[in-house]
Amino acid sequence: MAQGLRGAAAIVGIGETPYYKRGTSPDPELKLCLRAIVGACEDAGISPKDVDGFVSYGSELNHGQRLVPALGTKEMRFNALVWTHGGGIPGALGLAAMAIATGQAECVAVYRAMAELSNTRLRVAVAQNDTAAQYLVNGLDGPAQMCALRSMRMLEFDGVPRSAMRAMVLASYHHARNNPHAYGRTTEIDDDLYAESRWIAEPYHVFDCSRENDSAAAVLVVSAERAKDFADEPAYILSAPHGIEGQWGGVVEENHRPYTSSGFRAVARRLWDESGYGPSDVHVAQIYENMSGMGIAAVIDHGFCTAEEAGDFFTVENLTAPNGKFPINTAGGNLAEGFLHGMGLVPEMVRQIRGTSTNQVPGAALSLMTGGPGDSVVSSALVGSAATL
Amino acid sequence: VSALPTERIVGGINADEDYWEYLARGEFRLSHCAQCKRTIWPAHFRCGECGSWDIEWVQHRPTGVVFTWTRTWYSFDRTSERAEDIPYVTVVCEVDDGDGARVMGMLEGDESGLRVGARVHGEIKAPSAKSKGYPSICWVLDGSD
Repeated sequence: MAQGLRGAAAIVGIGETPYYKRGTSPDPELKLCLRAIVGACEDAGISPKDVDGFVSYGSELNHGQRLVPALGTKEMRFNALVWTHGGGIPGALGLAAMAIATGQAECVAVYRAMAELSNTRLRVAVAQNDTAAQYLVNGLDGPAQMCALRSMRMLEFDGVPRSAMRAMVLASYHHARNNPHAYGRTTEIDDDLYAESRWIAEPYHVFDCSRENDSAAAVLVVSAERAKDFADEPAYILSAPHGIEGQWGGVVEENHRPYTSSGFRAVARRLWDESGYGPSDVHVAQIYENMSGMGIAAVIDHGFCTAEEAGDFFTVENLTAPNGKFPINTAGGNLAEGFLHGMGLVPEMVRQIRGTSTNQVPGAALSLMTGGPGDSVVSSALVGSAATL
Repeated sequence: VSALPTERIVGGINADEDYWEYLARGEFRLSHCAQCKRTIWPAHFRCGECGSWDIEWVQHRPTGVVFTWTRTWYSFDRTSERAEDIPYVTVVCEVDDGDGARVMGMLEGDESGLRVGARVHGEIKAPSAKSKGYPSICWVLDGSD
């Protein structure tokens, strides 16, 4: 297989605003977006004027052309969106890497910004008005219910135990407690509180569901050659494919085959092929969990465990840093750090390579992020330290 | 004259206009490729298998099994017309003899036998505000009515 993108580019800057309760950001969305990108520039020591590429995903409305005047951009050379919703985030890193590897741009910002008052109800915004009549006629509004349908079959038919979902939730809140940036850092939760919490859409309790925050995050992607000059350890992009198997889906209104896959089988195969690594090599993972059960499906799709093994694999002990076998969502993830349609997972993936996470996995050199599971198109990214190239 | 609301739902593929029109006439029809005959669901504009552009709408028995389901306990923004019915159950039904096609519908009647694999049959409902002015099919657990 061609090795065209493996290690061609690296993430060298990360910038984040606080996570605000939705609708309470002091700044409109575009300003949050600028703050995140300028923050990433300051982190990397790059002038905002020199950012020449803009990449996001899904329903992002803060297009590059809106940012150029305030960043003082010298020349915009690349400006693109990966289609779909949160499934596209790691793919956006891949798109940025492609732009750099082919000489189209030199410094690409990959970002996301959301603020309800200057947009709309965020969970409506993310739906992009692309919800089919089959859903809306039948009392199904959006992701929480669609994902609930899929997780219900994963539990009832595939036999994944409910304890796996609970472990994912508890591990996220466990990590959030150490992260001063986490919106959910003060939430105390245990087995009983989880079990007694209100239902949203069965099999999901409220704690199984991500809830949008006003926030913005950005990272900067540059060539591997240039990355050597930065103070922090670059996170080299080893692979960041997006796509789906044709038979799995696209827009198919719950006619995905196999149904309880979250869509990553083809992407995971390419991720491991291109990077030259496999599941057993990964030190730490950020697993996009729009809903807890979908994160479990993503982990299964990537080959970390089977549905039969999920009960033993998904335990709080295994999922938590520093000593778990498979530490995930070490900043608290979408559930407990805050939900920026998954973009918050990207800076954390990078911090694990730098060694600066508030729940650092000792010696982490291979760091995974899986994108929005069950989305109509999905993507994943594996980044690594220089030693992994 | 269309039986569908003037304000159509525009999300999705939007090749299923005839599905709703037939439902309004009391018929449960799914789209098929007119050439290779396979069920195409959700409906689309071209058969991705054989390449035919000819789509036909074939009547199906509205029977099948619960492929999956959820019980909704929260009034979501765009389905708030059903707030008073919470909690309500939506079923994804794998239709008999439909090449695995799965069709969504509300569950009506007794819920006590609800599980993946349970047999259901469909009943066609007239348009209502709750179904956003569209006709709909609801699923009923066999033996519960």
